[in-house]
Amino acid sequence: MAVRTFAAIDVGSYELGMKIFEFSHKIGMKEIDSVRHSIELGTDTYQNGIIDTDHMDELCDVLSDFASIMKTYKVDDYKAYGTSAIRETKNTVVVTEQIKLRTGIKVDVLSNSEQRFLHYKAAAIKGSRFDEFISEGCAIVDIGGGSIQISLFDNDALVTTQNIRLGVLRTMDMLATLQPKTRDIEGILKELIDNQLQVFKKLYLKGRNIKNLILIDDYVSAMLYHTGSKDRSFTAARFKEVCEELSQMTVSEISKKYGMNEETIPLLLPAVSIVSRVIKITGADNIWSPGVSLCDGMAYEYAEKEKLVHYRHDFENDIIECAKAMSKRYQGNEARNELIEKVVCDLFDATRKIHGLGRRDKLLLRIAALLCDCGRYISIEAGAECGYEIIMATEMIGLSHAEREIVANIVRFNKTAFKYYDELVAQSLLDKGNYLKIAKLSAIFRIADGVCRSYRTKVNDVRISLKGGELVINVYTVDDIDLEQGFFHRKASLFEEVFSVKPVLKYKRL
Amino acid sequence: MKKFDDKEYYVNRELSWLMFDERVLGEATDTSNPLMDRLKFLSITASNLDEFFMVRVASLIDMQHADYSKRDIAGMTIDEQLEKISKKTHELVETQYFVLMHTLLPLMESEGIRFITKHEELTTEQGQFVDRYFEEEVYPVLTPMAVDSSRPFPLVRNQTLNIGALIGKKGEESRDFATVQVPGVLDRIVEIPCEEGRCFILLEEVIERNMHKLFLNYDVYCAYPYRIMRNADLTIDEEEAADLLKEIEKQIKRRQWGEVIRLEVADDIDPGLMEILKKELSVRSDNIYRIAGPIDLTFLMKLYGLEGFDHLKTPRYVPQAVPEISDGADIFEAIRNHDILMHHPYQTFAPVIDFVKSAAKDPEVLAIKQTLYRVSGNSPIIAALAEAAENGKQVTVLVELKARFDEEHNIVWARKLEKAGCHVIYGLVGLKTHCKITLVVRREEDGIRRYVHLGTGNYNDSTAKLYTDVGLLTCAEQIGEDATAVFNMLSGYSEPLYWNRLSLAPLWLKDRFLHLIGREAANARDGKKAHIIAKVNSICDREVIQALYDASCAGVKIELIVRGICCLKPGIKGVSENITVRSIVGDFLEHSRIFYFENAGNSEVYCGSSDWMPRNLLRRVEILFPILDERLKERVIYILETLLADTVKARIEKPDGTYERIERRGRDLVCAQDTFCEWAKGLVATKDPTQNSRVFIPIEGA
Repeated sequence: MAVRTFAAIDVGSYELGMKIFEFSHKIGMKEIDSVRHSIELGTDTYQNGIIDTDHMDELCDVLSDFASIMKTYKVDDYKAYGTSAIRETKNTVVVTEQIKLRTGIKVDVLSNSEQRFLHYKAAAIKGSRFDEFISEGCAIVDIGGGSIQISLFDNDALVTTQNIRLGVLRTMDMLATLQPKTRDIEGILKELIDNQLQVFKKLYLKGRNIKNLILIDDYVSAMLYHTGSKDRSFTAARFKEVCEELSQMTVSEISKKYGMNEETIPLLLPAVSIVSRVIKITGADNIWSPGVSLCDGMAYEYAEKEKLVHYRHDFENDIIECAKAMSKRYQGNEARNELIEKVVCDLFDATRKIHGLGRRDKLLLRIAALLCDCGRYISIEAGAECGYEIIMATEMIGLSHAEREIVANIVRFNKTAFKYYDELVAQSLLDKGNYLKIAKLSAIFRIADGVCRSYRTKVNDVRISLKGGELVINVYTVDDIDLEQGFFHRKASLFEEVFSVKPVLKYKRL
Repeated sequence: MKKFDDKEYYVNRELSWLMFDERVLGEATDTSNPLMDRLKFLSITASNLDEFFMVRVASLIDMQHADYSKRDIAGMTIDEQLEKISKKTHELVETQYFVLMHTLLPLMESEGIRFITKHEELTTEQGQFVDRYFEEEVYPVLTPMAVDSSRPFPLVRNQTLNIGALIGKKGEESRDFATVQVPGVLDRIVEIPCEEGRCFILLEEVIERNMHKLFLNYDVYCAYPYRIMRNADLTIDEEEAADLLKEIEKQIKRRQWGEVIRLEVADDIDPGLMEILKKELSVRSDNIYRIAGPIDLTFLMKLYGLEGFDHLKTPRYVPQAVPEISDGADIFEAIRNHDILMHHPYQTFAPVIDFVKSAAKDPEVLAIKQTLYRVSGNSPIIAALAEAAENGKQVTVLVELKARFDEEHNIVWARKLEKAGCHVIYGLVGLKTHCKITLVVRREEDGIRRYVHLGTGNYNDSTAKLYTDVGLLTCAEQIGEDATAVFNMLSGYSEPLYWNRLSLAPLWLKDRFLHLIGREAANARDGKKAHIIAKVNSICDREVIQALYDASCAGVKIELIVRGICCLKPGIKGVSENITVRSIVGDFLEHSRIFYFENAGNSEVYCGSSDWMPRNLLRRVEILFPILDERLKERVIYILETLLADTVKARIEKPDGTYERIERRGRDLVCAQDTFCEWAKGLVATKDPTQNSRVFIPIEGA
């Protein structure tokens, strides 16, 4: 049948959700069912570090139920992602194993940046309104249970993304611990949020004009939807009015007015405060809440992977732009980095037969190229190690933790001795597959760096061919490249070791 | 909005209900109705009254015990209400028996049907017949119980007919109380031989005549029938009751022990016997009803059902086929062609059953989900659902165990469905699931398609022949999405963040109604077209009434068709002068809920399961669905217009809250229900589902 059915399961910090989607060339992507069950897994994780037995039982019961719903729709495939509550629990491995045994559902754990990227993708596929919003200074505010993510756009490009541990559930739990008097709640929330947002403002908002906010969350979006805006967009002034009304209302009045379940109001209120503070700090004029969820992003991801749908927006470019913005922040050599990016791409393509890696790995290589000198901002001497640390400590929307670690290691092993498997995994959770990727990508990267050895750009063109056990790199240049040639063998040894192919550098003066 | 707080603007809901029962009684006195129909209506007034006592009066008495001091919408205290109810009920009962004994029984006799109400009137031959009948059929199933110092007063079961007697050991002075229950397993009406025509006697008379045979060695001094009514409202702590099914079973048993709130005795009962009953059953004087005739008139329905009296009944109407769904056609294809509206009982309920049956067999159907509130005995729908589960479909059934007086019945079905492999859910804590919705999920060439049936009446093929209801079959995507969300919600998942087309109680429906009424008021104030027509079973929600009063003041023309309780008073100057209220009590029970809003020329039509009562709007899961197809909208408007044109069965509410028949002089006689019967027949004859007969067919000249 031309129609494929897919289930997306989100094991969130305050809710379990599942959406069933259909894909066909005729109708594109269509949501056909959506179920949600409130369960505050995050409360356990954030307070005690583990998910307790009762919650575990409830979680498995609901997921078993999800499994039977999937059976009803005869779904072709499914994906289940756990987010912050599962990610931050100390017993993640045990939890996911138990879920698999008891329900048959395999839950993968999403890193924060992957999760946010999926949210972002879900919003982006909404089309023209998204493009319109990001064409001017725009921030995406993604409010989750454990944290919020603020991503900034400049001229259609994602420039930075920051995670602030200030989610609605975490905030609600903090408030519960403080047990404030009712009238203090607003003040306390303001203080809590402002403290964190001010740091963000100083670091990232300086000199930026944020006009638009894209809001990704469950509760404020639902409330705004009920205020009657058909296209789900509002002015900041209107939002302020709604907030003012809200502050005068009781929980049951809010529930009645906005058609929301009373139980969700304690989560709505911190979310509203977060949004108003973000509006205040950014000075944004317009808000758009596309009403999307992680499941929508998962469906998009699936459809993209299975080539079931095609969307206009280039999400890879977002990651690249993010890396460029990061490089700029650490005063990277833009021209050289772009040259390295070109050379690594050429090398990657020319050696496809021997490395067997995919498009995503090429993207990692490109990101490594753009960030290869960011460590020099801290120390010229220990640039590689510092680069590794910077990359590991900076979230890049769209990259998983493992991918980030691959990029960081490529950057590190460009200038320092390569570490072998036992030594490397002793310091991280990398598996063999990822280790091999690091080895292959580092080998390629080191060649590229060798070709562009000098921090001046001398190379005009590079042509690469793989012939009879040799990788021949012809460099066309107007300058003298003695330096490059002198050091090339040092950079080429890893390649030879990994691929059993000898790289040869030849140059042709133009 | 003006508050409209004056209690004079409202009618007490219990008194309004009693007025409804009076209107039903009016049908029993209406000489234009065939004789057997009149008996049927009289029987209905009696069963109505039973339910009224068990639920409403019982609830008021509970409040009285709890010293509840809040006044009702019409400003009455609990004591005042109980006092008025008692007075009014006594009057009503007197009328019931006057009609029976002085009008209907003599009329029956003139038709050759004799009904012997006192066994003393039996001829010798008849006496011998009933005595033999007693010995062979009745005696074996009787359990006489005597009360003396060693045997306490027995449990007299709720709503059972009993015979109380004073007995004494032969040769001794003392008198003891004895009682025997008239067995429910035997027919209440016993046909006895007679020279011409047919003759009947009631079972209790047969037992009374043979009472002495039950208490050997005793003298029976007197024997009289009596019946009690107990407080039967279920009160279940659902939070505590982990297994709702078991808890309800327990409560049904407990219902037998509720406080006695009504005692009916023969009007000539022995004073000594009366005293014992009054004392032992702890019943207050004003709750004692002395009956001048047979106690418990529900037996009249059985009499109505007897074979052979067709000439004394309105000819039985055969529900007509629905032209859009021809015999043997693929029902899913028919629905895909366009939405289908059915008007029961004028049109047959069969397509709804076929819908579930076809889904059960169709290999492309993935799931069937349905709410069941009251189902018939041996329901074909239950059988189809069970078959679907056996065929590997995902079948989810929400059985509302709390459907009043049907609890026992529902438990049986629930268990049967569970055994067949259906996923049975027992509703939401604290809320009765009253909405009527079926969802069929089918996998088709271009993906999942959802077929939905939404109705105003229960999935009960028996009552669908008697109740007027509207049902919609559709595969509109937005309604399908909402229907999926309804079942997800009923299965315990969170509500969706928004609804496309359906409005649900208890969360959104009341606000939706208030919004729709308020919009008409605003339109009227802006000089735009504004008009509301609403057909419901009852109106007693204060906020809705106040919104209607406000709309009336704004100049909105409001036409209400309310079968039962109506706490609103129409025609009060400055309050409700633009409101009219009519009640239609006819052969069929008016049950559909339909709403029309003019909306400044862009009219909207809705149907639903909810009345304008707080219990519907706040304590039940109800659905209001729009009729979107213009052609079907027209048809629903035609239904409303026809009901508004009725001059035969309609009664108009006066500003004081009482009702009167429509002045017929100078008007055509229009009976809406008859018009619909003809309309449905006409549709089948023309085979044109799009035809809307706009011509009212008078049943007789004025």
